[in-house]
Amino acid sequence: MYFKLSLRNVRKSLSDYTLYFLTLTFGVCMFYVFNSLEAQEVMLSISLSMLEIMHTITKLMNGISIFVSLILGFLIIYANNFLIRRRKREFGLYMTLGMSKHNISRILLCETLIIGVLSLAAGLLMGLFLSQGLSVITARLFEIDMSGYRFIFSLQAFWKTILYFGLIFLIAVSAGTLSISRHSLIELINASKHNETPAVKKPAMTLTLFLLSVLCIGIAYAMVLKYGIATFDRKIVIEGILGSIGTFLFFASLSGAMLGLVQKKPSFYYKGLNLFIMRQINSRINTTYLSMSFICLMLFVTIGIFSTGMGMTGVLNRGYSGVIPFDVSLEVPGADDPWALLAQSGVDLQDYADDFHRFHFYRYDLQALTQGTILKEVADLLPEENAQDIVDRLFPQALDVVALSDYNALMQLRDKQPLALGGSEVALMSQFLWVDADFQSIIEEYVGTDGRLSLGGTPYRVQTEILSEGIVNDSDHLMTLIVPDAVIADCTAVTGALCFNCRGNSAAMQDALTVQLDALIGEGRLPFKEGCVTRNMVQAVMGGSKAIIAFFAIYVGIVFLITSAAVLALQQLSEAADNRQRYEILKKIGADDALIHRTLFKQIAIYFLLPLSLACVHALVGLKVANDVVREVGSLNALQNTLATALLILLVYGAYFLATYYGSKQIMLKNGQRHE
Amino acid sequence: MAEILKVSNLEKYYGNKDSLTKALDQVSFSVAEGEFAGIMGSSGSGKTTLLNCISTLDSVTSGSIMIRGQEITGLKSRQLAKFRGSALGFMFQDYNLLDTLTGFENIILPLTIHGIPAAVATAKVEAVADRLEIRDVLAHYPYEMSGGQKQRVAAARAIITDPALILADEPTGALDSKSARRLMESLDRLNRNLGATILMVTHDAFTASYCQRILFIKDGKLFNELIRGEDTRKEFFSKIIDVVTLLGGDAANVL
Ligand SMILES: Nc1ncnc2c1ncn2[C@@H]1O[C@H](COP(=O)(O)OP(=O)(O)OP(=O)(O)O)[C@@H](O)[C@H]1O
Ligand SMILES: [Mg+2]
Repeated sequence: MYFKLSLRNVRKSLSDYTLYFLTLTFGVCMFYVFNSLEAQEVMLSISLSMLEIMHTITKLMNGISIFVSLILGFLIIYANNFLIRRRKREFGLYMTLGMSKHNISRILLCETLIIGVLSLAAGLLMGLFLSQGLSVITARLFEIDMSGYRFIFSLQAFWKTILYFGLIFLIAVSAGTLSISRHSLIELINASKHNETPAVKKPAMTLTLFLLSVLCIGIAYAMVLKYGIATFDRKIVIEGILGSIGTFLFFASLSGAMLGLVQKKPSFYYKGLNLFIMRQINSRINTTYLSMSFICLMLFVTIGIFSTGMGMTGVLNRGYSGVIPFDVSLEVPGADDPWALLAQSGVDLQDYADDFHRFHFYRYDLQALTQGTILKEVADLLPEENAQDIVDRLFPQALDVVALSDYNALMQLRDKQPLALGGSEVALMSQFLWVDADFQSIIEEYVGTDGRLSLGGTPYRVQTEILSEGIVNDSDHLMTLIVPDAVIADCTAVTGALCFNCRGNSAAMQDALTVQLDALIGEGRLPFKEGCVTRNMVQAVMGGSKAIIAFFAIYVGIVFLITSAAVLALQQLSEAADNRQRYEILKKIGADDALIHRTLFKQIAIYFLLPLSLACVHALVGLKVANDVVREVGSLNALQNTLATALLILLVYGAYFLATYYGSKQIMLKNGQRHE
Repeated sequence: MAEILKVSNLEKYYGNKDSLTKALDQVSFSVAEGEFAGIMGSSGSGKTTLLNCISTLDSVTSGSIMIRGQEITGLKSRQLAKFRGSALGFMFQDYNLLDTLTGFENIILPLTIHGIPAAVATAKVEAVADRLEIRDVLAHYPYEMSGGQKQRVAAARAIITDPALILADEPTGALDSKSARRLMESLDRLNRNLGATILMVTHDAFTASYCQRILFIKDGKLFNELIRGEDTRKEFFSKIIDVVTLLGGDAANVL
């Protein structure tokens, strides 16, 4: 019988539950999807290095899942309490009809269980299908083939989801039961009659608080802009604390302060239903500023995660052909030859490939050549905000020299056009230009304006085209200089290098080589350690970083977004009943339906927009600084990412807003049919 | 005197084929300009229903309601709202003040809805507040007012738009006798000094004794009419009691 009653209750208040239910379902779905990552591996033809990265990602996502389940747990407990609060009167009625608190708790338990089981089932089902799509994304991020479609079901993720959410629901139920049993019958019956007394604050006090909040936020902004967020230190903690305190104070005092200001302008305040809207907002912000502040901070994090995430993957996404020109490249310091060293340790590279090229990077002896030698010529073009940083860190790095014949041999190995270089010409090569538009334009400026370089007193012309085809995998030099072979006579070898493409199944060959070298390293028989870079490794690392960033952004960002929107929607929908009486009064004193709908719309819009607006301002400042950080990895197309983020937030947040508006309207329209 | 309100053959049915309630059955009467009329009747007799039909909050089943010569039963919702706002003022038993607004803001709201400039509106509120002696509570929220103060604020809100007709549903229903007397004196002054036309529903013979004419209603039908004429309030009061007793209203409803 309790089950039946609960079922009827759930069905009756379905409109209240819909948004909550959908949010919960989506949360469960995300949780399952990102916990089923491990099972996805079977679908991908994956190298050893990638497998390793995938394991790391899986571990990371498991960690994040705990955090996500905390957030969703908060939502569930919050929503549950909220729905109970709304229905205290109904429970009071049951009790006057002779039901015991124990029985009411049973009804409550049933209801929560019905919602819980339904959303868990729906979420798992949705997750099952969405997780298939995740494999496709993963494959794209790693730029690998899917080894064949297979329907994936992760039993582990399945049980984990049930366990986590089961626990959360249990906690929510106990919290709800507690709040019922704490209240006496009379309190329960009078619950909905009770008017929240507006927190009467002195206007002067409100204004002071408001100014204080602006001050806090301002200082935090100034600190962020001045010191940046590149290094994690005490300053960041202070900035965060200041910003958060400022945000809380802001929402605690905002509506009061605004009300005070607007009241000074009677022509606006006493126009249409403006005064009513202002009072509505004010009466609620007094009681909901805490959730508003949390929502604002969550939205801020969401915006930040989305746009930096998108920026980073965008940067990493431009393809890596320039960075990994060969399947394998080996480098050892000094004049040594990796081939010979490997042969001594019993590795015969002929096992892996047919064609090789061995060469050296050189240091020019007659004068110091550094990256600064080139860059100082165009120093005035360096981006102002981090010019000093570049001068300090980049300028002293050596500018290595490679012989023209070596370069052309490497090009031949890659089936690329050889480079023609006159006797008094040199060329600049950079494998990295594509990641940073700033550097690209600076160096282009240098070679374009008839760049000249004097080597040992002899002037050389710098070729007007920058070479972007790399010669070793994952080089850590911004620029390398290609010189005529004659110049090498004045040089000392600093790095011995060896490049080749594997024969046959390249990925498998690379794995085999890695395994062989790792074994030697394990025995301490290999004279060099990290000089071997395979295409697999770079792909795994780059794909891995992309995957981590993308997954993190999708997972945390979306969960934050839907949680914030759901909390706002729940508050609004449950207030709609209270507001109905107010809107009915408005109708009686002559407001027509159109005006009332407009007012309702404005009221809900303001409520949704307030936290979003402050979050956007926070994000603008944060992103400006974040951009400067990412610039070192590559320049972000900030505007585009911000727009994409804005669009996504607009879609999700907007959908919640509209659903809330129409839901509230529905509740308002139920004319005179109040079933108590 | 000119007719402000004319109700003819008004019928209002609730329910469906199986269970039909004739809440109003062939009701006809009229109220003249400047009149203070009352409606009495026992519980469930249809008083609130009648008032709701006149106030356009509820639709009628058949019959006609004319206010200032305008037929209102066929108006569209938009015209209705406009009409309600400009021609009618309301008072309710439970005040129906907006809890989030101060007294001043509650009173000014009908004016702002109708686009009256703030300066004009403010002056008007102050004038009305003086007349109803509620200047002191203008800055208070409803929960900071006594019942009588709340009802006088509601009265101020009802008359602020200079409506043709003020409709009051048991305005003293939640007040003690002293507050009730004060409110009735205020309404009486509004009626006498400003010529406001008032139609009031009440259970209470004492409250009703302030009216110039009382319509009695029973089971949805007009049953009797009492006109005060030259009677003192005391005399009128005892006449009312007589009819109420005749109607079979229980003694608890009579002061
Ligand atoms: N929404 C409704 N649906 C069905 N019947 C209704 C509705 N409203 C009122 N009634 C019925 O119409 C009749 C008249 O009701 P009304 O509210 O007008 O009485 P009243 O005279 O105001 O009584 P009271 O003095 O108790 O307020 C009653 O029998 C009531 O049950
Ligand atoms: Mg009634």
